[in-house]
Amino acid sequence: MAGLELLSDQGYRVDGRRAGELRKIQARMGVFAQADGSAYIEQGNTKALAVVYGPHEIRGSRARALPDRALVNCQYSSATFSTGERKRRPHGDRKSCEMGLQLRQTFEAAILTQLHPRSQIDIYVQVLQADGGTYAACVNAATLAVLDAGIPMRDFVCACSAGFVDGTALADLSHVEEAAGGPQLALALLPASGQIALLEMDARLHEDHLEQVLEAAAQAAQDVHILLDRVVRQHIWPSPDYPLLQSGPWGCFSPNIPRVSWHRQGWYAPHFMLRTPQLQ
Amino acid sequence: MLQKREKVLLLRTFQGRTLRIVREHYLRPCVPCHSPLCPQPAACSHDGKLLSSDVTHYVIPDWKVVQDYLEILEFPELKGIIFMQTACQAVQHQRGRRQYNKLRNLLKDARHDCILFANEFQQCCYLPRERGESTEKWQTRSIYNAAVWYYHHCQDRMPIVMVTEDEEAIQQYGSETEGVFVISFKNYLDNFWPDLKAARELCDSILQSRRERENESQESHGKEYPEHLPLEVLEAGIKSGRYIQGILNVNKHRAQMEAFVRLQGASSKDSDLVSDILIHGMKARNRSIHGDVVVVELLPKNEWKGRTTALCENDSDDKAWGESPTEPMPTGRVVGILQKNWRDYVVTFPSKEEVQSQGKNAQKILVTPWDYRIPKIRISTQQAEALQDFRVVVRIDSWESTSVYPNGHFVRVLGRIRDLEGEIATILVENSISVVPFSEAQMCEMPVNTPENPWKVSPEEERERKDLRRSHLVFSIDPKGCEDVDDTLSVRTLHNGNLELGVHIADVTHFVAPNSYIDIEARTRATTYYLADRRYDMLPSILSADLCSLLGGVDRYAVSIMWELDKTSYEIKKVWYGRTIIRSAYKLFYEAAQELLDGNLSIIDDIPEFRDLDEKSRQAKLEELVWAIGKLTDIARHVRAKRDGCGALELEGVEVRVQLDEKKNIHDLIPKQPLEVHETVAECMILANHWVAKKIWESFPHQVLLRQHPPPHQEFFSELRECAKAKGFFIDTRSNKTLADSLDNANDPNDPVVNRLLRSMATQAMSNALYFSTGACKEEEFHHYGLALDKYTHFTSPIRRYSDIVVHRLLMAAISKENKMEIKGNLFSNKDLEELCRHINNRNRAAQHSQKQSTELFQCMYFKDKDPDTEERCVSDGVIYSIRTNGVLVFIPRFGIKGAAYLKNKDGLVISCGSDSRSEWKPGSLQRFQNKITSTTTDGESVTFHLFDHVTVRISVQASRCHSDTIRLEIISNKPYKIPNTELFHQSPPLLKSELVKEVTKSVEEAQLAQEVKVDIIQEEYQEYCQTKGRSLYTLLEEIKDLALLDVSNSYGI
Repeated sequence: MAGLELLSDQGYRVDGRRAGELRKIQARMGVFAQADGSAYIEQGNTKALAVVYGPHEIRGSRARALPDRALVNCQYSSATFSTGERKRRPHGDRKSCEMGLQLRQTFEAAILTQLHPRSQIDIYVQVLQADGGTYAACVNAATLAVLDAGIPMRDFVCACSAGFVDGTALADLSHVEEAAGGPQLALALLPASGQIALLEMDARLHEDHLEQVLEAAAQAAQDVHILLDRVVRQHIWPSPDYPLLQSGPWGCFSPNIPRVSWHRQGWYAPHFMLRTPQLQ
Repeated sequence: MLQKREKVLLLRTFQGRTLRIVREHYLRPCVPCHSPLCPQPAACSHDGKLLSSDVTHYVIPDWKVVQDYLEILEFPELKGIIFMQTACQAVQHQRGRRQYNKLRNLLKDARHDCILFANEFQQCCYLPRERGESTEKWQTRSIYNAAVWYYHHCQDRMPIVMVTEDEEAIQQYGSETEGVFVISFKNYLDNFWPDLKAARELCDSILQSRRERENESQESHGKEYPEHLPLEVLEAGIKSGRYIQGILNVNKHRAQMEAFVRLQGASSKDSDLVSDILIHGMKARNRSIHGDVVVVELLPKNEWKGRTTALCENDSDDKAWGESPTEPMPTGRVVGILQKNWRDYVVTFPSKEEVQSQGKNAQKILVTPWDYRIPKIRISTQQAEALQDFRVVVRIDSWESTSVYPNGHFVRVLGRIRDLEGEIATILVENSISVVPFSEAQMCEMPVNTPENPWKVSPEEERERKDLRRSHLVFSIDPKGCEDVDDTLSVRTLHNGNLELGVHIADVTHFVAPNSYIDIEARTRATTYYLADRRYDMLPSILSADLCSLLGGVDRYAVSIMWELDKTSYEIKKVWYGRTIIRSAYKLFYEAAQELLDGNLSIIDDIPEFRDLDEKSRQAKLEELVWAIGKLTDIARHVRAKRDGCGALELEGVEVRVQLDEKKNIHDLIPKQPLEVHETVAECMILANHWVAKKIWESFPHQVLLRQHPPPHQEFFSELRECAKAKGFFIDTRSNKTLADSLDNANDPNDPVVNRLLRSMATQAMSNALYFSTGACKEEEFHHYGLALDKYTHFTSPIRRYSDIVVHRLLMAAISKENKMEIKGNLFSNKDLEELCRHINNRNRAAQHSQKQSTELFQCMYFKDKDPDTEERCVSDGVIYSIRTNGVLVFIPRFGIKGAAYLKNKDGLVISCGSDSRSEWKPGSLQRFQNKITSTTTDGESVTFHLFDHVTVRISVQASRCHSDTIRLEIISNKPYKIPNTELFHQSPPLLKSELVKEVTKSVEEAQLAQEVKVDIIQEEYQEYCQTKGRSLYTLLEEIKDLALLDVSNSYGI
């Protein structure tokens, strides 16, 4: 049998999702006490851990310090046991370097670096299990970790991948779908403004279809945002009002998430929160 | 709310290690159940088809049943079938893409009452596989579990029958749940469908062939063929250029020895191979069958072989023709088959004597397919003796590497050998044409038009459509006596002095809703099939001859294109597309229109519309009409000139003329001098097609259906150039224009046949015009070579072509899009459209082949039972148009027959012509030159045949039991044939094909009458059958053009 049927005639994907549905997302913030900020995320079977240090003084050569803003340093690695066949080395290969650069670009766009001139922010991301959409998982984990560290950001950065099969855009590709070799697009979005922090695609896709795929990825990133937002709220202020994240709705959202007035609760809002436009 | 589960799979890597893979699996509470009994239709959110509500039970086939008995499940009588996803996946994984696609098409087809239930994604139906449980057991358990759920989901209101081949499952689950019955498939057919004999027979036949196969695999003889390589190796090999992918074409005349692989796709570009690859012998062919997509490996150069150019008969064994083949060509062997294109085959059982000689195993019988290119098939059946005199349909099941012949099973009986109906049915099956009468459900969708209940224009439509009934003078020009008119024309002067030209096409899509039963049927047929004596319509006659026919004096719906043209330069200023209501004022025939155009007004007595008018109004109306026709001709001339200016050519006219003369029936339709009116109408239609193509392409760049005609390969013209050189002509084939010009010049005043033959060679060298989806092709490739247009489509004959219906819908969608209205119904996506184009192209080819084969059938029947030595008509004049090493190919203008004549017979004797030019067989040798062949006898006499020489041939029929009869030609004199009566010679008219058909059918009738002693007057029917084929000349030209562009690579062993 040649080629898996990625999208059946009935509209189901290999794993039973429909075209626009996300995989199950679970996340936790503050998993390590030692770091300034940390988070763990599971998107389906893709699992990533992010740790943030800083802002702190420049380590190593002082010459790298930027006079007007903070330096964002990102490092990506994936565990040797993360893939089906065991990897040789966890980091330092081409792919890891590239991923580190992409993460750096993404977060330079989101973190308000000018607030911390001449200092450095370190973001370390490790993928524990890779099952497609590693970039998206890393960005989402890192966002949560940065939030946990209390570093001011313009907005969340939410990322999601999308692919294109038989004229339909598929959101949040799994490993099987990625391996089929179709076009794959990774998008990191600032959800409130809809601004794009990073857009990457390294396959051929006809220009006319791009909009459709982009639309699907953006919608998926917005959905991711709702979930991450709840994770943050629950972390800072655990409440029985929020159902356990494990059974959170994903994919098709029902908008009945209870909204709570912050002021009534006398809630301390970290400064990054005050800057997000949706809270004002 | 979805639930997440995990599935652990153990896969084997290429290196052979096992790999543990964890895949997510999401379950959902609501999966569409597609049942009308569903208690929560909103939650299940059905889209697509539902099971019908008038069934007594639902039937759920187990995975094994779906795999093995899919053919039976395809019977339209079986209703309420639920295919479980588990079963479908089992087919996909274990039976390959072909069978899976068959299943998918079945599920998509609205005529079949079956649905797919995605049980593995339903949270109550999904069962994880348990430790140590075999896949088969798990599949059966899952399907049963889903069946039980489904039963309860429908609130126990519909009993469910699960059919399985697994005895244990029947034992285990048989009485577990009330209302869900588990029985075997055979049992099910016996109990629930006792009347469906065909299905039960098929079931038995499949069962038997499966048992045989099992036995055989246990026996395991020595290998007859090398094993096929695994798919990954093939794909990697194709990528690296080691192997080459292509379609296998078996040489019809040397089916045992020669086959060619036509390169396909990218592989041909990379390698420098231009020609096809020769596959020599059955062993190298390695179990592939004509039409399969195969992967070949090239042999080293010293093993390359040449193709044989000698003429030979199919039944003669290959040893006899061991003579000098041509220079070696790339030769290869098949290492794997990517796609098997097995279809239904018509076969003949061996006669009694042959059966005995086949020996020991009486139950296994080798049957001979009707198509020479298909190997013999081994069938196990007990009915062999009863089926001896019949043509029978079989299917191939498998071809193991241990077996010389493929295994198959018997499907159904077609008819007696040599019986006209049986042979026609054979032709239909061989071309995969299935034409059953329109069903009741389909006819129910049709509008009514009876004298008691006449069809009327509805007020809603009147509001929506532009009404041209009063404002425009609309008329049609068609052949005389034509009943179904699908195109009309109009022209008038606008207030600003500009002209308005209109083309109005019957609005078939108004009556044929997308995905209605009639639409699906029309899509399946794709075209109207014309055989020599009958036709099979694409749409029921209520539409094709009545409501969609734009007859004179009645209101009809139409789709119109109207151009505003500049009054003097005829530049197109504006164009309008839309739905209209028209009333055609005149239904003219070509001759009348031409007379009016020439200013000969006496013809008006022949036009019925003028008959009842008084003199004055008659004069006024006549002037109006004459002006319109004149203007129309002017415009057409102008448009034509413009097309010529753009480097266009007059090729289609040329081709048509060739084919016109060969296909005799057209001879009586077309006058000797083609009228200008023909060209006028044709030009208007081409203009309409072109503008529609542009319009729809602009609106939907990636998903419209257009028609392309790729430029021909220069190397195919080499034969044409050589032949022309023999007569001293030079043919320039560099562009379409030079080709047409040089063909015009290549005219021998003494022998008009030469030009005809050259033209037919030119058309044979060209490739077919094809439909395609714009998303599948680059824009430069849209070009139409024959018409020299950048975009072209078919729009003007929706009554007899499905492509035109698709284009009509696209045009309607384009108009809605332009007006910012929502598009009704879904358009085909590029992928679906590509598939549809493939289907339509395929059907068109089948239509052409069946027409050709049926014509040949009639030719043979015409000459059969005539004693060739005495009958006058069996001797005729022929022209040599090609030379082979042991014979020549001859064209007989009188009957339009092409065939081979041997110069050397089976005993090795060669032809010689004495002083009286009578030919005899004598010992001697043949010598072949570029454009002549010389036969020298041992006693020194020699005779030479040149290209385009006229000879006298005797026509006889070579009967064949298993195949179609063939015409045999024998040269009896090297001088042109002279009819004793010289007066007759000049007047001897070519025999019209329609006459031939009539004569043959009559004799068949008589034979039948004699048998049955029953008087049926069927003559009238023949008259009906022999009617005009197309309604207008234009459609006819189009048809002929298609014919002319037919792929004839496999004729005469070349």
